Amino acid sequence: MTNTLKAFGIMLATAALVAVMGLAPTTVLAEKPPIKIGFIHTMSGPISMYGITSAAGAKIAVEEINAAGGVMGRKLQLIVRDDKISPEAGLREAKDLVLKEKVDFLAGTISSGVALAISGYARRAKKIYMINIAQSTRITEEKFNKYTFRFTTNATPYFGKGPALALAKTYKAKKIISLGYDYEMGKNSLKEFKATYLKMVPDAKIIDELWVPLGSTDFTAHIAKMANSGADCFYLAGIYGGGELAFTKQAWSFGLYDKMKAVQPCAGDVETWGKVKQGDPYPKNALATCRYPFWAIKGDQNANFVKQIREMTGLWPSYGSMDAYVIMYAIKDAVTKAGTTETQKVIKALETLKMDTFVGPVEMRAYDHQAMMPTWYGIMRFTPDLPFPHITDVGKLGAESYHTVEQIKKVRGK
Amino acid sequence: MTAVSMNRISLLGTSPRNAVMLAGAMIVMVALPYFLGQSWLSITTEMLILALAASALNIMLGYTGLVSFGPAGLYAVGAYTTGVLMEKLGWGMLPATLAAPVMAGLVGALVGWFCVRRSAVYFALLTLAFSQVIWTVVFQWYSVTGGDDGLVSVPIPDFFFEITNCYYFMLAVVSVCLFVIWKIVNSPFGMTLQAIRENPNRVEFIGVNVKHYQLASFIISSMFLGIAGSMFCVFSGSVFPDYAYWAKSADMLVICLLGGIYNFFGPLVGTVVYTMLTKIISEYTMHWHLILGGIIVVIILAMRKGVVGTLSAYWADRKSAAA
Amino acid sequence: MVWFLIAAGLSIIFGTLKVLNLAHGSLYMLGSFCCYQVTVSLAGVPGNFWLAVLVAPLVVALVGGIIEIFLLRPIYKAEMIYQYILTFALVLIIAEACKMIWGTGYHSVAVPWPFKGSVGMFGLSFPIYNLFLIAMGPVVFIGLRTLINKTDLGRNIRAVTENREMANALGTNVPRVYTGVFMLGAWLAGLAGSLWPPVSVVMLGSDMAVVIDCFIIVVIGGLGSLAGAFVGALILGLTTAFGLYLIPKLAVAFGFILMIIILIIRPYGLMGEPE
Repeated sequence: MTNTLKAFGIMLATAALVAVMGLAPTTVLAEKPPIKIGFIHTMSGPISMYGITSAAGAKIAVEEINAAGGVMGRKLQLIVRDDKISPEAGLREAKDLVLKEKVDFLAGTISSGVALAISGYARRAKKIYMINIAQSTRITEEKFNKYTFRFTTNATPYFGKGPALALAKTYKAKKIISLGYDYEMGKNSLKEFKATYLKMVPDAKIIDELWVPLGSTDFTAHIAKMANSGADCFYLAGIYGGGELAFTKQAWSFGLYDKMKAVQPCAGDVETWGKVKQGDPYPKNALATCRYPFWAIKGDQNANFVKQIREMTGLWPSYGSMDAYVIMYAIKDAVTKAGTTETQKVIKALETLKMDTFVGPVEMRAYDHQAMMPTWYGIMRFTPDLPFPHITDVGKLGAESYHTVEQIKKVRGK
Repeated sequence: MTAVSMNRISLLGTSPRNAVMLAGAMIVMVALPYFLGQSWLSITTEMLILALAASALNIMLGYTGLVSFGPAGLYAVGAYTTGVLMEKLGWGMLPATLAAPVMAGLVGALVGWFCVRRSAVYFALLTLAFSQVIWTVVFQWYSVTGGDDGLVSVPIPDFFFEITNCYYFMLAVVSVCLFVIWKIVNSPFGMTLQAIRENPNRVEFIGVNVKHYQLASFIISSMFLGIAGSMFCVFSGSVFPDYAYWAKSADMLVICLLGGIYNFFGPLVGTVVYTMLTKIISEYTMHWHLILGGIIVVIILAMRKGVVGTLSAYWADRKSAAA
Repeated sequence: MVWFLIAAGLSIIFGTLKVLNLAHGSLYMLGSFCCYQVTVSLAGVPGNFWLAVLVAPLVVALVGGIIEIFLLRPIYKAEMIYQYILTFALVLIIAEACKMIWGTGYHSVAVPWPFKGSVGMFGLSFPIYNLFLIAMGPVVFIGLRTLINKTDLGRNIRAVTENREMANALGTNVPRVYTGVFMLGAWLAGLAGSLWPPVSVVMLGSDMAVVIDCFIIVVIGGLGSLAGAFVGALILGLTTAFGLYLIPKLAVAFGFILMIIILIIRPYGLMGEPE
C-alpha cells in the first residue's frame, strides 16, 4: 500500500523536475538575432567520422561567413546534435531544434532513414532541411517534399549510373559479373548500372548476378565463383565501407584484381581507404567513383579547406564536410537573395540557386531539389602524393549522371 | 524468491489517500502543457508511449516471470499495422489504430504459442529469434513496409501534429491503457499470474494450466505493446525497422529494470529516468554509451530492485525504525 | 570456423556459469583491436602477427577475468534478466572504450607469413590463410576436448557444471573455476578476434553481428555443449551458403528460422541434453 503512495510521490517529483527543466530560460536575444542552423548528424557510434568532419566543414563556412559580416548583418549560428544513426533520435533532435531552439534551417545527416524522418518532419513543421550525405534517391523522388534539398550526389550517379558512364569512357568491359548486398540500394544500383551501360556498350553482357546478405563480411565463396566465371570485369552493387574493405582484402588474396577489371563505386571515399597503406590489399586499378577527391581539385580555397579540416579533426576531409560547407554558403546566398529567412521565399530562392564553389559551379534543380553536385571517377592507385590509395586520372560527371526529370516523373507517377 | 518479489501491489482505491495522490498526479499531468516548453512536451509525450510499452512488457516480466527478449517485435507489429493501413491502404486513423492491438495480439498468440512451451533461457532466446524474424520481414518486404527507409509519410491528421493536442491524446490513451493493465494484474487472473511467477509447479498442482495462463499473459502484453507501437506511429507520423530491432527490446528491458520490475510504477519511473539520463548524458558527451553502460552496471550491482523498489524499501525501513 | 571459437567460448560459459554472455561479441571485437594494436606497435618485427595472436587473446582473457570477478560474481544468485542486462551494459562500455582508444574508421591487418598467397584446388584458387583458419577449427575443438576430459581443470569444470553444491562440498574452489571458465571463454573470443582480421577488417560494430550469429550456433548445437558449438557452426555455415542460392531474399533470416525449427523439434539443441 505504501509502495503505491511512494511511487506517486516519485512520479510527482519527476514531473516537477521535468517542469523545472522545461522552464529553463532560453537564449537571450541580441539586437540582431542570429540565423540559427540546426545541424543533425551522426556524432557517436561506429560511423561518427562522417558526422564529425561534416560538422567541422559547416563550422569552417560559418566562421568565414561571420568574419565577412554575416548574412544581411545577422550572424550564422550552428547548433550541432547527435542522431545516433537512429531515425527516432534524429526526429527528436529535429523537433527539439525547431521547437526549443527555434532554428531557421535544418541540415545534415548520413543515414537515409534518419534523413527521411527529418524530411517528413520538416514538411510538417514547414522548415527547410538540407541534406549533406544521405544517398537514397527516394528522398528527392518518391518521398519528395518541397522543404527538403539535397546538396550531395545521390545513389544514382554514385552507385549505378555514374559508374556505368565512367566504365563506358574507360575500360569498356564486355563480360561483367556483379556482386551486391541483397537490399534495395544494392538491387537498384545494379538495375541502374545495367540500364545505362548496356545501352552505351550494346555488345556487353552481365553474365551473372551474385548477392550476399546485407552486412556480411565473408565473401570468399562468391569471390571463388567470380574468379572462375570467365568475366573480364566485376561490378560491386551497394557494397561499401567495412564490407567493401573486407571484400577487397579477400578478392586481393584470390588474385581477383589481376584476373579482371574492377568497378568499385565508393572506393574513392577516404573514410574507407584513408588508413590503408602501401603494401596492403587495395582495389588495384579498379574504376571508382568519388564524391570529393580533394587531392585532384585545384585552387587555394580547396587546399585551405583540407588543411583546416585536418587541423580540426585529425581526419581527412570527407565529402560530407565539403557538402556541409557548400550548404552553409547556399543558405547565405539564398537568404541574401530572398532578403528574408521566411521559409517559402527562401525555398523559391534555393530553387533557382546557382553557386560557384571551390569544387566548381553547382546548380540546384528546381524539380526535385537535387543540387547537381559533381561526381568524380578515376582509377585506384597509389601515388607518392598521398599515403592511401585514391583515384587517379580523375574525370568529372555532372548533371548527365543523375536521373532525368522525365525519369523522376515516371517514378512519382506510380 | 527474494523478499521484494513477495511485495503484493495493493488494489487501487483501498485507501482514500491513494485516490488523492492519483488525482494529484493526474492534475499535474493535465496541467503540464502550461508549464513545459513544446520541445519538453514532445519528449514527455514520447515518455508516455514508452512507459506504456514498458508496462506492457512488465506484464510478462514482472507479473508472470517470463523474460522476453523480443518485445520490440510486437511493438513494431503495432506500429507497422497502423502505418501500412494508413499510408498504403488509405484507412482512417481510428480503424488503423484499433487494428494495431488486434494484429499484435494475433502475432503474439502465434509467437507465444511456440515460446511458452519452453522454459527460462530458451523462452528468452525464442522471443529474441522471433523478434529478429519480424525485423527481417520488415526490412526485406520493401513494397509493403518501405524496407530500411521505413514509412515516413503516414497521413496522420494535422490535428495531432500540434504537440499539445498530441500530448492530451496520448495522455488519455496511455492512462486508459494503464488503468486496464492495473485492473488486469490485480484481478484474480493477475494474482494467478503472480503465483505462477513465484512457483509454477505449485500452481500447476492445484489444477491451473500454467501454459494457458502464460500464453494469455503473452497475448495481453503483445496487445498493449501493439497499442504503444501504434501510438508512436501516430506521434511521429513515421515507422522504422529500428522499432523491431533487438536494441529497442534492450531499451525496454533496461527501463523496466531501472524502475523496478516488481512494482506497477517501476516501468513508469524507469521511463522517466532512462529518457532523462540518455538525454542529459548525450548532451554533455559523445561517449554517452560508456556512461549509460556504467550506470546500468551500478544499478545492477547496487540497487537491483530498481529505483522504485529501492526507495520504497528505504522508506519502509525508515518507517519501521521510527515505529 | 572462426565463429566456432566464439560460439565455443559462449557455450562453455553458459554451460558452467549459466550466464548468457551478450558481451561475448564485444570480447571478440576487443581481441581484434588488440591484435591490430600489437601488429602496428611491432610493425617491422618479423612474426609480429603471431605475437599478436599470442598476446591479444591473453589481454582479452584478463579483461574477462576482471569482468567475472568484479561484475558477474555478485549477481549469480540474481535472476537471469540482471545478468542479461549487465552483459548488455558491457556491450555498450566495451564498444565505447574501443572507440575512444582506436577511434572510428577501419583498420587493417595484413595476411601473415607464411600464409600469403593462394593454392590451386579443384581448379579453384584458395588463399592459404583461409585454409589455415579452416584447420584451426578442428584443432581448437580437439584441444578443448582434451582440456576438459583429460586435465584437472577440466575435471573441475565438469564437476561444477554437473553439480555446483556437490563440487563445492567436495573441495572444488567453485568461484575460481568460474573465473577460469570465463577467462577461457574470453580467451577463445580473443583468439577468434586475432585470427579473423587478416581476412576481414577491424571495425566497430562487429560485436553485435558476431554475437547474434553465435547465439544461433549455440542454440542449434545445444547450449553448453562443445560438440554442439562445432556442429552448429558447421550447419549455420552450410545452410547460409546453400540458402543463398535457393532463397536469397530470406538469407538474412535463415539462421533464425533454422534456430526456431530446431528449438521446436529438439529444444535442447542437436548435441545438448534435455533439461
